[in-house]
Amino acid sequence: MSDMQFGPSKALTFGIELELQILSRRDCDLTRGANDLLRVIERSGSQSDIKPEITESMIEVATGIHERYADALDELRGIRDTLVTAADRLNLLIAGGGAHPFQHWSERKIFDKPRFKQISSLYGYLAKQFTIFGQHVHIGCADGDSAMYLLHALGRYVPHFIALAASSPYQQGVDTAYDSSRLNSVFAFPLSGRAPIVDRWAGFVTYFEKMREASVVESMKDFYWDIRPKPEYGTIEVRVFDTPLTVERAAALAAYVQALARHLLIGRPITVDDDLYLTYTYNRFQACRFGLEGLMIDPVSHKHVPIHEDIVSTCEKLAVDGQELQSSTAIDLVARWARERDNDARWMREQFAETESLADLMWKQSRYWRTGV
Amino acid sequence: MNPADFPSLPVWPPAVTPLAWVAALLLLAIVAGEATRRWLRVSRVIGYLLAGAVLGPHAAGVLDVDTLETLRIFSDIAVGLLLFELGQRVDLGWLRRNPWLLVTSVCEALLTFVAVFAVMRLFDVRAVTAAAAGVLAIATSPAVVVTLVKDLRAQGQVTERVMLFTALNTTYAVVGLALIFGWLHFESAKASTLIIAHPLYLITGSLVLAALLAVAMILLLRLFGRKPAFQFAITIALVLLTVAAASELELLVPLTLLLLGLFGRIFDRDRHFVSLRFGHSAMLFVVLLFALAGAGLEFRGWLAALPMALGFIAARYLGKLVPVLLFARPSSLTARKASLVQLGLTPMSGLALLMMHDLAQQAPALAQEIAASMYLAITILAFAGPVALQFALNRAGETEEGEP
Repeated sequence: MSDMQFGPSKALTFGIELELQILSRRDCDLTRGANDLLRVIERSGSQSDIKPEITESMIEVATGIHERYADALDELRGIRDTLVTAADRLNLLIAGGGAHPFQHWSERKIFDKPRFKQISSLYGYLAKQFTIFGQHVHIGCADGDSAMYLLHALGRYVPHFIALAASSPYQQGVDTAYDSSRLNSVFAFPLSGRAPIVDRWAGFVTYFEKMREASVVESMKDFYWDIRPKPEYGTIEVRVFDTPLTVERAAALAAYVQALARHLLIGRPITVDDDLYLTYTYNRFQACRFGLEGLMIDPVSHKHVPIHEDIVSTCEKLAVDGQELQSSTAIDLVARWARERDNDARWMREQFAETESLADLMWKQSRYWRTGV
Repeated sequence: MNPADFPSLPVWPPAVTPLAWVAALLLLAIVAGEATRRWLRVSRVIGYLLAGAVLGPHAAGVLDVDTLETLRIFSDIAVGLLLFELGQRVDLGWLRRNPWLLVTSVCEALLTFVAVFAVMRLFDVRAVTAAAAGVLAIATSPAVVVTLVKDLRAQGQVTERVMLFTALNTTYAVVGLALIFGWLHFESAKASTLIIAHPLYLITGSLVLAALLAVAMILLLRLFGRKPAFQFAITIALVLLTVAAASELELLVPLTLLLLGLFGRIFDRDRHFVSLRFGHSAMLFVVLLFALAGAGLEFRGWLAALPMALGFIAARYLGKLVPVLLFARPSSLTARKASLVQLGLTPMSGLALLMMHDLAQQAPALAQEIAASMYLAITILAFAGPVALQFALNRAGETEEGEP
C-alpha cells in the first residue's frame, strides 16, 4: 500500500525529463555511448541528473523541481552544454527528435540494467523498436484527488502537446507521413493508452491494487499511459511529447502545461466523465498524423477545430496564468508556433528536402540541439 | 588413340590454373575461418591466415611463390578497400576537440619507435636497421582492425580510439619508412638534396593524388546517386585507380589510400555517402587477403630468431602501453578502457609484410639483418593480434556478445 501513498508536492511546480539520442559523428547513426558519456560527466563534477536509458544509444536528462519557466530553461541550457562538451571529447553527437530516422533496431544494444533486461525479454522486438525519445513533464499536485482531476482534464489538450512537440516524421529510412510516428510505437504496448476514469485517488489505488493482484502490473512503471500519476513524486507526468529538437522548445512546452494546469485547477472548467474520452483517440491520431494542421473534435461541443486554432484560443485564455507564473514569454511562443504551424517535424522535412540525406538531417539536428538556432 | 583427334577432351592430370587456386584457397579459408569462429571462438581472420599458411610456400608448398604473385591483385584490392574504409571511418576533427588524443598518438608512436630501436641495438643491429624495425613496429594492422570491427559490429570508445590510433600510426609508419629510404639514398649517393626532396615528393604527391581522386569519386557518386551496387563498383574502381596511379608514380600507396578515405569523407559535405558500406561482396577480397598474408608468413629458423622477435614484441608492447595509459584520464577514458585500447593496437599483419617486402627491395643487406626475427614477430602478432583485439572489444562491452 505504502508505494501508492500520494506524497503531496507543491502545486504547479514542474520538472522536465528528456530522452536524447547519442549519435556517431561518422554516419550520424545511433551509437553506443551512454556509459562513456556518463562517466565523463560524472568526472566533470556536474550536478546534473543524467541517467542511462533502455539502450546504450539513449541518455536521459532531468531538471530539478521548478516554479518558474526561466529557471527551468536556464537549467536545461546548462545540462545541454555539459552534455555537448562531454560528447565532443568522445567524438559523439547529441540530438533531440522523437525517433532516429534510419536506425536499424536490430543493432541496438539494450543497456545493462536488470529492469531493461527484463523489459527486453518480455517485449522482444518491441523493446528495441522502442528506441524512441520522449519528453516527460511532471506537474506537482497538492493531493491525489487534484492529481486525478488534472490528469483527466489535461487529456483534452493531449493533441496540443503531440502536435507542438512532434519531431518523429521519419523512421526506418522513410517518411512515415506522420508528424509524430513515435507514439505509434508506444501504442503497440499492451498497457499504453489512458488512465481509467476515476476522479478520486482512493478509487485509483483500488484500480491499481486489482491490476497488481491480477499480476497485470508490478508497479506504476508498467503503465505506458499518455498521462500517468507518479505518487512518490506527488506529480502527474505528461508523456506524449516527442523530445523537441531544442531545449528552448522543451522548456516552453513545460511552461504551457504548467499554465494549463493552473487554469484547470483554479477554474475546474472541465467535467471528468466518460464523454471526455469520446473523441480522445481520434484527436490523438489527428495530432500524430497531421500535427498542428490536424482537426480535433471537442468532446463536449462536438465542434471540429484545427488544432492550431484551438491552441491559439487556449493561449488567450492562459494570459492571467502566464502572468502569475511568469511564463508569458513561453505562452506567447507557443501561440506563435501554432499560428505559424511551426513544429519540429516541419523543420525536419524542410531540412531533409535540401539535401535528401537523412544522415545530413541528423547532423543538422545535432547542430540545432547544440545552438538552439 | 591420339588425344589431338579429340580436342574437346581435357588432358589428364589437369593443369591447375590460378583461377582454380583462387577457388580452392577461398573455400579452404572460409571453412577454416568458420571452424575457428565456432570451435575456438576466435576471429575468422585466424582461420583465413591458417589456411594460407598451411597451403603456402613455407609449409605444404601447394601455393608456390609465383602463384602468390599472380594472386597479389586480390590482396591489393582488399588492402586498398580496407585502408580506404579506415580513412573514411576516422574523424580528424576529433583531435581538435580532444587534443590529448593527438598527444597520445604521437607519444605512442615515438615511444614504440624508441623502445624497439633500443632493443634492436641491444642485439647489435646497425642503427639504420634498428630504425627500420622501430618504424615497422609503430603501425597497427589496418586490415585486422577494420575487418574485426565490422565483423563484430563493434561500436564505442575503445573501437573508435583503436581505429583512430591505427589510422594515425599507419600514417606515421608509412611516412617514417619513406624517411628511412631517404636516409639510405643519402648514405649511398651522398646526395643531400635527396634526403629531403624524395620524402617531400612522396608525401605531397600522395596528398595531391588522393585529393584529386577523392574529388573524382564524390563527383561520380553524386552522378549515380545512392545506389549501393553502383557505390560499390565505383569505390572499387577508384581504389584500384589509386593503387595503380600511386604505384606508377612511386608514391606511398597505403598513405594515398588512407588519405583517399579521409578526403572522401571531408568532401562529402551533405553526408550522402556516410553510409557507404561494402558488405558481403568485399568479404571475398578480405578472405583472400588474409589467406595470402598467411601464405607469406615464415616458419623457418624460429629458434635462432626467437630472442630478437620476443624483444621486438615486448618493446612494442611497452611503447604503446605507457602513453595510452598515461594520457587516458586527460583524454576522458578510464584506465581500464585505455588498457583495452592498447591491447587492441596489437595486430600486425599484411601491411608489415608489405613494408618488409619494400625494405628488402630497397636495401637487401639491411633487411637481411633482421628479416628472420621480423617475420617471426609478424607471424606471432598476426595470430595474437586479432585475438587480443577481439578480447578488448568484448571486454569493453562494445560488441554483440561482449560483457560490459
